[in-house]
Amino acid sequence: MKIVGIVGSNADFSYNRLLLKFIAKHFNQIVDVEVLDIQDIPLFNQSNDQTNSEPIQRLNRKIMGADGVIIATPEYNHTIPSALQSVLEWLSFKIHPLDGKPIMIVGASYDVQGSSRSQLHLRQVLDAPGVNAVVMPGNEFLLGEVHRAFDENDNLKDKETIQFLETCLKKFIRFINVVNVMDSPEGMKDLSSTEDLHATGKIETTIEDIDMLADDWVEQASDKTKAVEGDTYVKLDRGVLTVNQLNYFLKSMPAELTFADSNNQFLYYNYKYEDEDMLAARRPEQVGNPLANCHPERAFSSVAWVIQQLRNGKEDVVRTHVPTHGPDKFVVHSYQAVRDEDGNYVGINEYVKDIKPIIDWYLEQTGQQLTGGEVDAVSGATSKVDTVSGATVKDN
Amino acid sequence: MNNFIGIVGTNSDNSTNRMLLQFIQKHFADKANIQLCEIKDLPAFNKPEDRKAPDKVQQLSDKITEADGVIISTPEYNHSVPAALKSTLEWLSYTNQPLIDKPVMITGASYGRLGSSRSQTHLRQMLDAPELKARIMPSSEFLLGFSLQAFDEEGNLKHQNKIEELEQIFDDFVQFVDITNQLVKTNHSPKKQTKSFSWEDN
Ligand SMILES: Cc1cc2nc3c(=O)[nH]c(=O)nc-3n(C[C@H](O)[C@H](O)[C@H](O)COP(=O)(O)O)c2cc1C
Ligand SMILES: Cc1cc2nc3c(=O)[nH]c(=O)nc-3n(C[C@H](O)[C@H](O)[C@H](O)COP(=O)(O)O)c2cc1C
Repeated sequence: MKIVGIVGSNADFSYNRLLLKFIAKHFNQIVDVEVLDIQDIPLFNQSNDQTNSEPIQRLNRKIMGADGVIIATPEYNHTIPSALQSVLEWLSFKIHPLDGKPIMIVGASYDVQGSSRSQLHLRQVLDAPGVNAVVMPGNEFLLGEVHRAFDENDNLKDKETIQFLETCLKKFIRFINVVNVMDSPEGMKDLSSTEDLHATGKIETTIEDIDMLADDWVEQASDKTKAVEGDTYVKLDRGVLTVNQLNYFLKSMPAELTFADSNNQFLYYNYKYEDEDMLAARRPEQVGNPLANCHPERAFSSVAWVIQQLRNGKEDVVRTHVPTHGPDKFVVHSYQAVRDEDGNYVGINEYVKDIKPIIDWYLEQTGQQLTGGEVDAVSGATSKVDTVSGATVKDN
Repeated sequence: MNNFIGIVGTNSDNSTNRMLLQFIQKHFADKANIQLCEIKDLPAFNKPEDRKAPDKVQQLSDKITEADGVIISTPEYNHSVPAALKSTLEWLSYTNQPLIDKPVMITGASYGRLGSSRSQTHLRQMLDAPELKARIMPSSEFLLGFSLQAFDEEGNLKHQNKIEELEQIFDDFVQFVDITNQLVKTNHSPKKQTKSFSWEDN
């Protein structure tokens, strides 16, 4: 993932430049950030069009080629500096490279307020029709009292600040993915048609003639198939359990389990918690739904991609970690292929788990430590998958 | 009679904000001497180490200091104040800080219907910053929408109701200037304190 960071100051020495350089250096395992200066961009003048000058064209090219843009803004007189304002005027006059571009705002200033006012102004400017950027909501990264924030090696001193910055940055990466899927630009193929996410087909085990969207699909389907329950015994490979025992056993699994069959119909989850208490929310009435009804449309391409990996045997499991739960949880979604004796794909087992307690326990037992910083959590091949998770309850 | 200056908030050759100030200058000639000031030729602000005002900035700064009141007319670029005017205010705040305690009236013209309402809000917030600290006339807003169609061939505002609105605000401003300047004169010392404000030593 390629990101450009724009230094919103034209001063020879700028804390906002330091901040962007720190981001580029410290998180280079996660993303590739190129820091761009605006010192050579002339002051905007409507009567003297310099859009075609090299500095403006260079900036234009860099932005067009980037997946996202981070703007670091100082605060001058409660607003963004004229130098940054001027750049945005050039980039909204004859050319519009920021149109539809995902943007994250950060800012450093002397005041304890840490550029809060200028960040608000910047949001409004980026929202103007000539600019029309897509700014990541929330996640205000404000670095106040900036003259005390860096050590002699230009690193941020405060661990929690770095941690928060990392959270923001990872959210931004996910935000870029979501925006990209939403916009589905020419460069990125929409894969949603590779899977029948509406479960319009049928397989041997499909329970027919019942509305897959019915809230009581489970009741209707079990009536129709005369499904056993309660104290009835079922034979398993290998063992014999009652249905109750089987339920208790599955609910005791240390993860949220979900099963969808090879027809892409959501058939089961180990219903132990209500949706608001789950890491990946499910609701009882969703069972029976086609997968298309469990995801927002913008995620279809990613969902289809994951299933294709498993169905075609390219992968047995696809994992993604979901940082949106904050730094105190390490939530991992695993999409595990379920196959029969002959290796045929029969469905998907999605298990979702916060692995932090296990990691903490293990570290404590063995006296080891997490060093942090080096852990690459978001980048790489899983970027397509990122948008899948967290989107499993469809609210509309 | 009061001496005012009117700052044209743009570096553009053609500007309806300039036309608006020219109209104000002419229309209120019997109520105040108004001199128009351009920011076209000011260099772009770049936070020089020495904090020295370039000549053109110094000239503007002196005019502000001498004036009893200042009218700023701002265009709206991308929902905010144009870079050229921001740069001017950065120079003033960073060097002589002549706007401190200066009575200021804001006007604005834009091509669209909203008449620069968003940039005027930003401008107010800016003038409130500690290094500018102007005395902005409260509860007044002169918004000129559809500014390209607002003037006749002689440069007069076409609509009588807009002229009356402007007259009302201008009269208020003349009073506001007198009251504010009296107040400021009797309170010399706080002004000295605010004068010395700098973000860097804070
Ligand atoms: C003209 C001017 C106006 C300023 N106004 C503010 C302000 O309103 N709020 C603030 O927190 N800092 C203000 N500062 C101080 C900046 O926060 C400080 O210069 C900071 O270092 C700017 O970021 P930079 O180092 O990336 O250029 C101002 C500085 C200048 C030069
Ligand atoms: C880069 C750029 C951005 C502009 N953005 C706005 C805007 O956000 N709102 C608006 O009403 N007009 C906008 N305009 C159009 C006019 O310039 C604007 O209405 C201005 O206030 C007219 O004032 P003037 O005649 O004094 O130049 C924009 C123009 C340019 C060149």
